[in-house]
Amino acid sequence: MSTTNVGDSLGVVLTINGKRHMLEVEPRRSLSDVIREDVGLTGTHLGCEHGVCGACTVLVDGQPARSCLMLAVQADETEITTIEGLADGDELHPIQQAMHESHGFQCGFCTPGFLMSTVALLSENPQPNRSEIRAELSGNLCRCTGYQSIVDGVETAVSLLNEAQGNQP
Amino acid sequence: MKNPAFIYHRPVGLDETLSLLADVGHDAKILAGGQSLLPTMALRLGPPEQLIDISRVPGLDGISVSATGEVTVGALVRHATVEHSADVGRYAPLVAETMPYIGHRAIRNRGTLVGSIAHADPAAELPAVCLALNATLRAVSTDGTRDIPAAEFFEGYLQTALKPNELLQQVTFPAWPSTSGGALVEVSRRHGDYALVGLACALDVRDGVVASASLAFFSVGSTAQRVSEAEAHLVGSEPSAELFARAAEVVSEALNPAPDVHGTTAYRKHLAGVLTERGLSQATAAIGVPA
Amino acid sequence: MSNTTQQSGLGFVGQSVKRVEDQRLLTGKGCYVADIEPEGVLHAVFVRSPLAHARVTSIDVDAARRAPGVAAVFTGADIVEATNPFPPFLMLPNLYTPLHWALSDKKVRMVGDPVALVLATSRYLAEDAAELVEVDYEPLDAVASISDALAADSEPLWEKADGNVVYDQTDTYGDVDAVFAAADRVITERFSCQRQANQPMETRGSVIEVDPDTGHLTVHNATQSSHMLRWIIAALADKQSTPSSLKSFVANKERRNAFVSAAKDFVSTNADSLQEQDNAGMISQVKADKSTLVHLQRIALGLLGRDNYPTVKAQDIGGGFGAKGSIAREDVALAAAAIKLGRSVKWIEDRVENLTDGGHAREETLEVAVAVDNDGTLRGMKVDLIVDQGAYPGFPVGAPFATRIMKVMFPGSYKFDAYGLRTRVVSTNKGKYVAYRGPWANETWARERMLDVVARALRMSPTDLRLKNMIGEADMPTKMITGPTLDETMSTKKTLERAIELVDLDAFATAKEEAAKAGRRLGIGFACYHEAAPGPPDYLTSVNPGTDALSAETARTTVQADGSVVVYTGQMPHGQSHETTYAQVVADELGVGIEDVELVWGNTDRTPFSVLGTGGSRGGPMGGGSVKYSSRKVRDLINHQAAEMLEASPSDIEIIDGNIHVAGVPARGLSFGEVAAAAAAGAAPTDAAFEATVDYGGHGDGGWSTATHVCFVDVDLSTGIVTIPRYLVVEDCGPVINPAIVDGQVRGGVAQGIGAVLYESSIYDSDANLQATTYMDYLIPTAAEIPDIEVHHIETLSPGENDFRGVGEGGMIGAPAAITNAVEDALSDLGARVTDQYLPPSRILELAGII
Repeated sequence: MSTTNVGDSLGVVLTINGKRHMLEVEPRRSLSDVIREDVGLTGTHLGCEHGVCGACTVLVDGQPARSCLMLAVQADETEITTIEGLADGDELHPIQQAMHESHGFQCGFCTPGFLMSTVALLSENPQPNRSEIRAELSGNLCRCTGYQSIVDGVETAVSLLNEAQGNQP
Repeated sequence: MKNPAFIYHRPVGLDETLSLLADVGHDAKILAGGQSLLPTMALRLGPPEQLIDISRVPGLDGISVSATGEVTVGALVRHATVEHSADVGRYAPLVAETMPYIGHRAIRNRGTLVGSIAHADPAAELPAVCLALNATLRAVSTDGTRDIPAAEFFEGYLQTALKPNELLQQVTFPAWPSTSGGALVEVSRRHGDYALVGLACALDVRDGVVASASLAFFSVGSTAQRVSEAEAHLVGSEPSAELFARAAEVVSEALNPAPDVHGTTAYRKHLAGVLTERGLSQATAAIGVPA
Repeated sequence: MSNTTQQSGLGFVGQSVKRVEDQRLLTGKGCYVADIEPEGVLHAVFVRSPLAHARVTSIDVDAARRAPGVAAVFTGADIVEATNPFPPFLMLPNLYTPLHWALSDKKVRMVGDPVALVLATSRYLAEDAAELVEVDYEPLDAVASISDALAADSEPLWEKADGNVVYDQTDTYGDVDAVFAAADRVITERFSCQRQANQPMETRGSVIEVDPDTGHLTVHNATQSSHMLRWIIAALADKQSTPSSLKSFVANKERRNAFVSAAKDFVSTNADSLQEQDNAGMISQVKADKSTLVHLQRIALGLLGRDNYPTVKAQDIGGGFGAKGSIAREDVALAAAAIKLGRSVKWIEDRVENLTDGGHAREETLEVAVAVDNDGTLRGMKVDLIVDQGAYPGFPVGAPFATRIMKVMFPGSYKFDAYGLRTRVVSTNKGKYVAYRGPWANETWARERMLDVVARALRMSPTDLRLKNMIGEADMPTKMITGPTLDETMSTKKTLERAIELVDLDAFATAKEEAAKAGRRLGIGFACYHEAAPGPPDYLTSVNPGTDALSAETARTTVQADGSVVVYTGQMPHGQSHETTYAQVVADELGVGIEDVELVWGNTDRTPFSVLGTGGSRGGPMGGGSVKYSSRKVRDLINHQAAEMLEASPSDIEIIDGNIHVAGVPARGLSFGEVAAAAAAGAAPTDAAFEATVDYGGHGDGGWSTATHVCFVDVDLSTGIVTIPRYLVVEDCGPVINPAIVDGQVRGGVAQGIGAVLYESSIYDSDANLQATTYMDYLIPTAAEIPDIEVHHIETLSPGENDFRGVGEGGMIGAPAAITNAVEDALSDLGARVTDQYLPPSRILELAGII
C-alpha cells in the first residue's frame, strides 16, 4: 500500500524503447507528459489531451494506448514503445518506409499516433483489407490528408512486411 | 488541460482497498483503466480529491464461468480481454458482440468493463447490456458484500447505487439459454463514437413464441433504460416483422430523449424505433447461433 | 531513404518525388513548438471568461499569485497598460474595425475571452493557480446569432461601432434592376452556413525566449507567417510613449536612413498599387474611432524608435488551414509578459481553448436571387450576404477582406449581364472569424447550390444548365463581370466536360432507380469553380484596390563557397511539403539532386520578408515562382563562372547531377564546390559564392486554378446517415510540381468539406455558450468516414512563363456544394430543398419529411 500526497512524487520504472528509466513523478502527471518532458522523447504528440485524437498513441506492453489517458504511475514496470523506437538506427521500420513511399502524411503532427496504431493493427491482423484499415485507424485523427494516402501506406506496409518475411530463410 | 492534484493511493490488497474506501470514499474515485475518469480529470470537471488505483489489487482480473453458465467479470478485466475471451463469446455472446463498439482499440486496451459500468455513462453500451441481461453487480465494502440487480444499479447521470465506501468488485451475467438471441445495435455519427441511440436487446423464444424480451436503450436519457411496455407487447407473440414494427412504435412513443448537438428529440425517438426493428430481427436470427 | 522513382536529368518537376520532410517527421525527430523547452521557462495559462458578454467589475489575483510555483499573474489591465492595441490592418470603406487589446480588461465579449495570464514553473501549477483567480462579472445580453446582431436593440459589443453591424457595403455590376425586370423568371433562395473551425491537429503555441543580457526576444511559434508575427510583436508587445520613440528615432541616424531608403524602395516598387489606394477606408475608420490615429502613430513611431526587433523562429508546424495566419492575441500578451519579467515563457494552447478561441469560420447567410430566362440563360444575380465575424476581428485578415473576394468570385465561371451584392459583417459574442482554407468558399457553395435550385425549377439537368452558361475557351479572352480577366487557364468548362465523361450520368440514373426500389436514395452533385491562383494582374485590384503589394513572395537562392545550395524563402510551410517541391524546382534549374538542396524557412533572421507567409494557395505560384527565378539567376552566374574556368561560352554550360561541364564533355566537368570556391576565393565556406534574390508576384504570368467536383451520396432514410460511395475531382492547376503532393492537398481539402457538411459545427446556444468544446462534440471525420477520392488532372498551360498555380484551397471550395447538391438530388422525390450547409443525420430526416 502506498499513498502519495499532493505535490509529492512516486518512483516509477519505465522501459522505453528498450531503455530503462527510473523516474520520480507526481502521480497526476500523464504518461505522455513524462515521456515528452522527463524522458525527452518529444516524438509523441499531444493533440487533444482527452483521448480522442490519438496523436499520443504509444505501445504499452505491445498494445496501443493513449498516453494522455494514462498516468505515468499506471505505466510503472511496463515496456513502452514510442515513435522513436521504430526505426533501427538510420534504417526505417517497414511501416515508416511504406508511409514515405505512399506520401502518407503532410504536417507530421498526427504521424506518431498513426504509426503506432498501424504497428498494432498489423501485428494483430497482418493482411487487413481497406475497410478494416479504415475502421482500425478511426481512433486517430488526421486533418491534412483525407486519410487515403495513409491507408495506401498501410497497404504498402503489408507488402513490404510480406516481402521482408519472404526473404527470410 | 492537465490533471489537478490529488492524493494517490495504490493499495495492494482488497482489504486495504476497502478500508481506504471506508475512510476516504466520500472524496475518492476508483482508478482502474481510467479511460472515462482521466478525460474528466484533465478537463477539471468536478475532479475527486483522491484516487485509489486498484491495479495492484490481486483477484480482480479474472473472467470465470460457473457450472450453470453464468459469466463473472472482475473489476480489473480490460475490454480487450473480454473481447478476446472465448468464454465470453460462448457464454455471454451479447457482451462479446458489444465489445467492438466500445471506443477504439487503444481505449479497449486500457478501459475495464466493470469501470465502464461503475461510471454509468448513459451513452455507453455496457450499462444497457447489464440491464438487458439482468446482470448482477457485486459491491463490496468493510460492511460486507451485496449483490445489486442491474435494474436497481443505475440511478441517474453518472450516478449509481454504489455507496461511497463500496467497490464494484465484479459483474455477473446470467446464463444464456440456447433459446435466446441477442443484438447490440447502434447508430453513431462517426466510427467509434458514443451512439446517437443504441439498443441492447435479448429475446428468448420458446415453442415459437416470445417467452421473454428485454430492450435496453442507451443515449436516450440520464441512464440507460428498458422499455417495459414494448417488452410486454412482444411476450406471448410469434416473432415477426409486423410484431417488431409495432414494438418499435411503442418504443418511439415511450422514450423522450433530450436533444443535444448531435440529434433532436424527434430524431432520437425515431432512431430508437428503427433500432428496435433492427435489433429484434438480428436477435431472432441469432437464436441458437454462438457469437 | 531510397528515392527509387527519382532521377535527375529527366526533370524533377512533374514527378511524385518522395518527401524530404519524411526523414524527420516519420521518425519523431520533427521539432514543433511544444518540443521547445528553454531552461527555466515559465508556463502560461490564460484565465478565460465563462460568460459571453459581461462587464468585468473586479478581478482578484492575490490567491493565484501566492499559489505554489507561480512567478507572476497579469490581469487584463496590466496588459492593456503595457501594450498597444491591435489596429485595423486593411481599412475598407464603410468598415469599422474595433481596436482591441491582447487581454480584455473592462469587458468580455465571448466565452473564452482571456482576462488574465498566469505564469508558473509548470503547466500543472499554472492551471492550479488559474483556478484561484476570482473575477466578478456583470452580465450583459448576449448577441448569439446574426439575427440577434441585426436586431435594433442588440447590446453593442463595441461602443464606438454603430450597433453590431460593422460593415455594410453594396456593390453592383451592370444594370441589375433592368436585367431582373427583363428576365423570364426570378428565383430566390436563402442559404445558411454553420460556424466551422479549422482545427489543425497541432494547436497554437508560443515559446518566447528572452536573452538576459540584451533583452532580445526569440519567438518560437506555430505560425503561418513568421514575419508578420515578428512585426506585430515588435509593434504591440512593448508600448513606448510617442515622445520617447520619436527621440530615439531622431537620435539614430543609421536607422533614419534605413527607414527612408526602405520607404522609397517600397513606394517605387508598389507605385501602381499605391496609386490605386484611396483614403475612404481610413476616413470611415477614424470617423468611428478617433483614437485610431493616436494608436497608429504610437505604434509606427514605436517601430521606428526600436533597436531590437524580435526574431521569430518557426520550425515544424502541425497544420494551420488559415487559423495560424491570424496573429493570436495570446502571443502579444505572452511577449509583453516575457519582456516585463525578463524571463522565457511558454504557452501551448489546449484543445478546448483551440475549439473556443483558435479560430472559427464560415458562419454566413446568403440570400441569392437569380434572374433567368426560360431556356436556361442566366441573366443576373443578386446576393445579400451577412457574415458573423464573432467578437474580435481576425488579424491581419478577417471577415471583411474575405467578403471582398466573395464579391469578385460570386459569379463564378458563368456569364451574367448584371450582378449585385450587399455585404454586411456583424459582431457577435462568439469566437473570432479567421481565414479557413478558401475563406471566400461560400460564394461557390451558395452559387453552385443555387444553380441546382434553378435547374430544378426549369426542369433542366444541373450539368446542362452549367454548360449552357459557362464561359468557355471560345469566349476568351474576356472578363468576369466583376473585373478580372479570364484567359485560357480559366478552364472550368473543360473540367466539367471531363467530369461528365468520367461519371456516366445515364448509368447513374439507372442505378438510382434500382436503389429507390430497394428503399435507398442515391444522389449525385456537381460543383464547379475557378479560383485565383494567383489570378491575373487585375484580380486583386478588383478585390480591393491597393492590395497587390501584399501578395509577392521573395526567395534567395545561394550557392555557398563550399558548393552547397541553400535556398531561403519567406514561405512558412506547415504540411504542404515545400522542402520537397522547392527542391524539385531548384534541382531542375541548377542541375543538382533533390538532396543537394537545403531550404531555409521560418527564421526571420535568415529568411526574406513575406507579409502573408503560407496561405492563399500562394506557395506554388508565388513562392515556387520566386524560387524558380532566383535559382535561374544563380544558374546564370554559375554558367558564367564555369564558362570562364572551362574556356567556353556560358550558353554551352550544362549541369547534370552537379557536374558542371561543357555540353557533351562531361568528363572534363567541375563540381559545385570547385566553381563556387573559385567565385568566392578567400571567402568563408558558408559565405555565398553565388546569390540571387527574386521578388515574384505572379502577375503577368497570371492564372486561375479550376475544378469540378462530383459527389455521389447514398442516404439511409431510416437513420439519416449519408455515405459517399464515390467522389471525384477533375482539377486544373496547370502542370503540377509533384502529383502526389497535389493529390494530397486536394483530398485533404475535400475531407474538410465532407466534415463541414456532415460532421462539424461550432454551435452556440442562445446565450452564446459554445456547445462544441471538445472532440466529443466537434467531430473531425475519421478514416472510416472519408472515402477514397479520385483526382483527375487537366494541365492547361498558362500564357505566361510560370506555370505553377495554386491548389491548396480548392478541395475545400468545391466539396460542400457537391455534397449538398448530391443530398438534394437524393431526396428530390421527397421535395427536399437543401439550404443549410450542415446536414447531420437528424437534419437529413427532417429534409426527407420523416421526422
